[in-house]
Amino acid sequence: MSRSAFKRWRAPLAWCALLLVLATGGEWFESLLRWSDPEARRVLYPQADLLTLLLRHLWVVAIASGLAVVLGVGAAILVTRPGGRDFLPLVAQAASMGQTFPPVAVLALAVPVLGFGTWPIIVALLLYGLLPIVRNTLAGLEGLDPGVEEAARGMGMGAAQRLWRVELPLAAPVILAGIRTSVTVNIATAALGATVGASNLGAPIIAGIINGNTAYILQGAVLIGLLALTVDSLFARLNWRG
Amino acid sequence: MIELKSVTKRFGDETAVDAISLTVERGELCALVGTSGCGKSTTLRMINRLIEHDGGEIHIEGRPIREFDGRLLRRRIGYAIQSTGLFPHWTVARNIGLVPGLLKWPAARVAERVEELMVMLGLPVEAFADKYPAQLSGGQAQRVGVARALAADPDILLMDEPFGALDPITRQGLQAELRDLQARLQKTIVFVTHDMDEALALADRLVVMNAGRIVQQGGPLELLRAPADDFVASLLGGDDRGLKAAAITRVGERMLPLATRPVPSARVPREATLHQALAVMFREHVERLAVMDGDERPVGEISLRRIVGAGREGGGEP
Repeated sequence: MSRSAFKRWRAPLAWCALLLVLATGGEWFESLLRWSDPEARRVLYPQADLLTLLLRHLWVVAIASGLAVVLGVGAAILVTRPGGRDFLPLVAQAASMGQTFPPVAVLALAVPVLGFGTWPIIVALLLYGLLPIVRNTLAGLEGLDPGVEEAARGMGMGAAQRLWRVELPLAAPVILAGIRTSVTVNIATAALGATVGASNLGAPIIAGIINGNTAYILQGAVLIGLLALTVDSLFARLNWRG
Repeated sequence: MIELKSVTKRFGDETAVDAISLTVERGELCALVGTSGCGKSTTLRMINRLIEHDGGEIHIEGRPIREFDGRLLRRRIGYAIQSTGLFPHWTVARNIGLVPGLLKWPAARVAERVEELMVMLGLPVEAFADKYPAQLSGGQAQRVGVARALAADPDILLMDEPFGALDPITRQGLQAELRDLQARLQKTIVFVTHDMDEALALADRLVVMNAGRIVQQGGPLELLRAPADDFVASLLGGDDRGLKAAAITRVGERMLPLATRPVPSARVPREATLHQALAVMFREHVERLAVMDGDERPVGEISLRRIVGAGREGGGEP
């Protein structure tokens, strides 16, 4: 890796390293946590090791965000095509509603249908994460220079060629910003899944709240924060050029 | 050759283009002129089917354009617009090579053609090939736009106010280059502009449009001498029409054989316009100029009477 490339990726690498050190730190992290809550009987969450929780957390967010990107970007593309224009207000409103519906309520409604575990939180995150993606994709595609569109058509590009070679590359920075917001928010929101039996970094937090154990809460919160920082700083360095 | 036969376009209840008929001969530069909203851009965009015509027929080389697939038709017709519409995420070279790429030319042939065009339009390959549109001046961007339009060597070129957003000096420079380019390439060009001087300077034929109809068409001098109505006359500059005619007539067309001895000391090139000759007369306070050829040899003379046209009919020089 060249020096400049290292400099570019320094921030995400640093956050990622810190995250992994704490998640695999074991006794060393335990002594650090002991200092935060000297009274507690145990300070390290006992049900599962932190690395496993971290990977499950990441997995849930990845599935939910992946689905949100496919659905959100796909819907926004469809309603900006000539055939789908009529549905533009509908999709924009549906996405807004997804965001205003509290994730906790989604969880409560989803459990009877999907049962306890990981699926309710994936549904909640999917709905919650759609809005920034849909909104930014619409803004990116609608905000293109009309002259560029006119030229692309005038040169004889077909609809698919215009979409893949002109519209999406030019809208990519705005779309990417929406995905970044969505993923970062979902990393934090995913912790709620622990209330309906999903095993992720929210589990120590919920256990800590129930047992009055500050150290549990702290380790879940710190790791979620670091995960969000790692992913967010990764997104900050992504730069697409068609 | 492009033929429009009573072509009509309506947008809702409004008739944008009203049964116009027009023939643009091969190798001709035809300027569509008129005020904003007169239907000139709509007419242009119907020729490459960016807008579909509602009535009448448009033929290219004798075939109705509806027979062609819209995309394939547009790849065969060059198109340049005022805002250039260059792709901001593509380099200059890639922008120019767009249509050859769509036509699936081999990469080596595209690269060769792009270089050829950049040289033709005065864009040094080394300096410009890898630049992005945001790094270009307005004039440079428009050169790239014209190069892109010419890339696949189309017979027909459609230009929608291509120089409308440029400063006067850059605009005149590009107009002169387009004239030279057209003299060499002999494309069939339809050129939309609201700048009368531009139309008079470039066009073989002017088509004046008003409210979706053709009011008058003809050569620049023809229109200047005999505007069909007050609208055309005012569009052509009212009382300035005489000067505008002088600005597009060459001294070489009006000069007489050298008769005065000694040869007048004030001189003007044969390629200059009557307008420029007048300016020299004003400056030198004379009524008679020697006309010089490219090698600075006197080949004729021109008088003020001759310029203003008093001696046009016969050789009635005193």
